[in-house]
Amino acid sequence: MNQLKTLQNGYQSRIRTRTMRLACWNGAWLAATALMKFGPKFLWNRASVFTLLAVCLDVAVGVGMILATKKYVMELDELQQKVYLNALGITAGVALIASVPSYTVMDTYHVISFHAEIWHLLLLMGLTFIVSFLYGTWRYR
Amino acid sequence: MKNRLKVLRAERNWTQAELAGALDVSRQTINAIETGKFDPSLPLAFRAARLFGLRIEEIFHDEDRSSLATEIK
Repeated sequence: MNQLKTLQNGYQSRIRTRTMRLACWNGAWLAATALMKFGPKFLWNRASVFTLLAVCLDVAVGVGMILATKKYVMELDELQQKVYLNALGITAGVALIASVPSYTVMDTYHVISFHAEIWHLLLLMGLTFIVSFLYGTWRYR
Repeated sequence: MKNRLKVLRAERNWTQAELAGALDVSRQTINAIETGKFDPSLPLAFRAARLFGLRIEEIFHDEDRSSLATEIK
């Protein structure tokens, strides 16, 4: 029984640590992306060298974030991996369907009054992932 | 697939969280297995069998095989 209690928090604490690391990487990538997007206009007056450095930084932090995500998924137990991967699959499918065939065509033929931006797709992907993940978690609660 | 995980856990007065800790999974996973919503992988089934000191087939039952045996009888 004591051994059980000792083991009880092992998985939870590992996941908590991984989640914190992943959150840090996500935050860092968001900051690097904001720097890349707004830096040329507000910080270094469109100097190409700095813009290139900001792009390199964004890519490097992005790679770090991908690796952190991979480690996080590998640390999850089998049910949570299933929920996570299902949510990723749905997100990838929605992104594929919504981007090329629908959204860009609507933009090209002026069905929508505004320009199709990549940020809209990222927002849609984020929302789709959150909804799918919450649904999966609720389903196996 | 049916299982006796809930009964075995109750016999030992373990909570779902304690069993989850011993099997190195989340409490949600234990609950999903106990309620039959999720079938564990073979490594997890082996870990459960080792923990309870039983054979896998003494914890997990293949429903299809049971119904097939009934049909044959």
